[in-house]
Amino acid sequence: MKNISRYNLIFVTIIALSVILPWMFWLSFEKPISSPYVMYSCVDDCFMIRGYENGTSVYSNEFGKTFTREEFEQKLPLLNFRQLMISKTLPDTIKGVEMDPHLVNSAGSFYRYKPEDKNSPKPGLYPMIESKSGRAKLEMPKDFFRIASRMEFIIADGNKLDEQKSVLFTEALQAKGFKFPAKMIEGLPTTRKSCDEGYFVVDNADQLFQVKMVQGQPYVKWIDIPKGLTFKYISCVDFRNKLYYCYLIGHDNSIFIITQDDYELERLPIEGFNSENQELRISSDLFNYNVIMLGENFTKVVALDDNRRKVAEYNQTWTKRALRPEGKAFSFLFPAEINLTDKYNSFINFYFHPTKGFNWLILHIILLISQFIIIRRRKANPKNHVVDFGIVLITGLFGFLAVNIFPNKFFD
Amino acid sequence: MLKSMIYKEWLKIRWFLIGAAVAGLLVIAYMYMNTQRSITFGGASSVWYNIMFLNRMFYKILKYIPLLIGLGIGVAQYFPETVNKRIKLTFHLPILENKALLMMLGFGTASLLATYLLHFVVFWLLSSSYFGYEITNAALITITPWFLAGLAAYFFVALIVLEPIWMYRIFYSFAAIAFVPLYLNSGMAGAYAPINIQLVLLTLLISVSMLFSAYRFRKGEM
Amino acid sequence: MNNVIECNNLTHYYGTKLVYENLNIHVKEGSILGLLGKNGAGKTTTINILNGFLQPRSGECLIYGENTQKLTPHTKGRIGFLIEGHIQYAFMDIHQIEKFYSGFYPNWNNKPYWDLMSKLKVTPSQKISTMSCGQRSQVALGLILAQDPDLLILDDFSMGLDPGYRRLFIDYLRAYAKSENKTIFTTSHIISDMERLIDDVLIMDYNRVLAQCPVKEFMQDFKQFNFTLDKDNIDLSKEKFVSNIEKVKNDVELYTYESEDFVKKFLDDNGVETKNFKKVKMNLEDAFIGLTGKY
Repeated sequence: MKNISRYNLIFVTIIALSVILPWMFWLSFEKPISSPYVMYSCVDDCFMIRGYENGTSVYSNEFGKTFTREEFEQKLPLLNFRQLMISKTLPDTIKGVEMDPHLVNSAGSFYRYKPEDKNSPKPGLYPMIESKSGRAKLEMPKDFFRIASRMEFIIADGNKLDEQKSVLFTEALQAKGFKFPAKMIEGLPTTRKSCDEGYFVVDNADQLFQVKMVQGQPYVKWIDIPKGLTFKYISCVDFRNKLYYCYLIGHDNSIFIITQDDYELERLPIEGFNSENQELRISSDLFNYNVIMLGENFTKVVALDDNRRKVAEYNQTWTKRALRPEGKAFSFLFPAEINLTDKYNSFINFYFHPTKGFNWLILHIILLISQFIIIRRRKANPKNHVVDFGIVLITGLFGFLAVNIFPNKFFD
Repeated sequence: MLKSMIYKEWLKIRWFLIGAAVAGLLVIAYMYMNTQRSITFGGASSVWYNIMFLNRMFYKILKYIPLLIGLGIGVAQYFPETVNKRIKLTFHLPILENKALLMMLGFGTASLLATYLLHFVVFWLLSSSYFGYEITNAALITITPWFLAGLAAYFFVALIVLEPIWMYRIFYSFAAIAFVPLYLNSGMAGAYAPINIQLVLLTLLISVSMLFSAYRFRKGEM
Repeated sequence: MNNVIECNNLTHYYGTKLVYENLNIHVKEGSILGLLGKNGAGKTTTINILNGFLQPRSGECLIYGENTQKLTPHTKGRIGFLIEGHIQYAFMDIHQIEKFYSGFYPNWNNKPYWDLMSKLKVTPSQKISTMSCGQRSQVALGLILAQDPDLLILDDFSMGLDPGYRRLFIDYLRAYAKSENKTIFTTSHIISDMERLIDDVLIMDYNRVLAQCPVKEFMQDFKQFNFTLDKDNIDLSKEKFVSNIEKVKNDVELYTYESEDFVKKFLDDNGVETKNFKKVKMNLEDAFIGLTGKY
């Protein structure tokens, strides 16, 4: 029993140390890795890049030509609209379009996706906001709905089921062929938006619906999507130009939008996006869409025209943390690290990251020899410590500390 | 013999246990009185909204309570055994030493679990009366590791208090300080869902830790 | 008659410091053995080994034929153990502690316990921790009597007790042991108490056993002779027959196992003239100090 007890403690301590020691290492030595900021210029029809070198910003374009900050801002007039107005360097027209502030504003949008948005716990209950109340402002309802074996509305005050409303909406869904329960429910559960477009719901048969409440009545729209297409994530947006309802990420990481009113599922001409480990930033202006994909050590930027056709692409890589000096030092110390949180996931779990390569073997062998010396100094028989030696060899510093914190000093 | 062992353990921890059970209930009651107040003043739907969409954890106050209870019961139960090395008396009883230790551990663990279960169930019932099951489930998933932390702390206290050599007590404390925070990470409600089972297993693994230090005590690592 | 306690070639070190080596102890059934020694001579070490709280570096101890490191519960039930300082679960009162222990011993007889407790002037719910040393010792004694063990191991039963309690303890114990044929293994600092209690003595000094025999035999064989030297012309301390010698100026206290005649002959043979030669009658404490020396 005492042996079992000891090995259990060692195991648990190794896990704890695999979390804490690397964390302490990064806390002390991690350096920021700044990714370049890339935007398509409607003035020059090429990509402008703001990078960092030695702590200062470097402004250039994709051909390597450098600019001053002011010149750079003039290449991206729609982004730096107000600044150019103040410095009186804003042109009157660009590409024949008059630079009207309202027009520019309404054409602008910014969308950001992070993998942890997708990989996070879902509330399960959502507010169905009245979309045509006749009032200027949207109002938060007093009830919340779920779509389980049927659609149910629960009145918050008193935690009561609104049976009538539940039946009403359930029947409306059934009439459109909805298969319960819902697999995904996404919307904008806030009143701080221009109007309410309800929720986009994926049913149990992977069909896509829009569900709204219009003057207290259910509005359900079945949306035509290609057979076999499923979605990993749906993200509703509220842009002033009201061109589309939401972004959708397909099971194959393709990116779609659903256009307003005609509910066309349109695929964006973006290749190579991985929704599990890349950030997505889509900004639009009067002329272009700027689609930025950001990975651990690269960025890929695709410029689309205002009909969402691909115009240009830009790629840039930089050294991963693991290959930088601090990452290399890490690789000599630790065979792996465990994190409880992950930048791609909102759930707490044991995220295991083995270190690439075998640089850590050197330290492991040194520690193994040290452990051997410790055992001999104690005049103990190394044969009784074989398991401990194995632990030190495999887990290195974590195991070395663990087997010595809980000493192997037994009689019999 | 089991009855006598339980009797001794009960004498040591009874006041703390009762106090802890009551204190926990008071904290839970306070929590819900606060929630009721928010509902009265802000409306139930805005309270629900804040919980689900603004990550307002109405039960945050509970976070360290199970941990403190676990630590307290551990100290109340095992510290009196090490004063003047009194545990020698238990080892001298006509019963296998490990059996005696496991009886002590079993009773302490059972008392702790009973207290936690009481708190957990009361929490659950109150939450279910106020909120839809999605909110309650997310809350229960979130508070589960806090209770496991209390159990882990109890097992570590037993290990540390029974260790005869001070230097190793300090080492074991370092191990405990590295390990217990794994249960107490901040995150959204429901974020602990994937890891709770693993945490239960890890807690089970360290449950018999005190047998290690008690063995060292018996063999004369003094 | 069997040996209740048998230790063979017991050797122990604390780190690199030798406590003793090749110690042999045997205690027959029905006898009372007293372990005497100065502080640090290894008394508590021996007690700890006997109770399985210490693993000796080499050698073994057997109680009722079982290795003390692995005593079975049945054998443990036959052993009554008094810890130095009358250590008990002091958070209990006298009712609780009796209730606790009674659950472990099938032959528990609480009459002697309550007899003793009736003599104690304590309130029913008074915790043992608030009792005086003497009262605590009575509780400890009462518990042992209620357990009715075959072997009693008592580590310094007189510690902290005033003379009245010590006398009570000794008289009770000896009467109890002799009437029931119990075996006792005990240590104590107060040798005059031991003298009243024990049959056999085991005297330990640093690293070795100085004597192991019945008390009566020891007291007969070990002698003290006092005399005054005319001339300080001989170093007696190195002589083999001298167990110990104390010298203040020319006054000598000589301790030896040899007879008076032998000593006198030796002095004559070596031309040592003495005055006031006399044999001194010792009690056990005198003999102990004589054998082990003053500090």
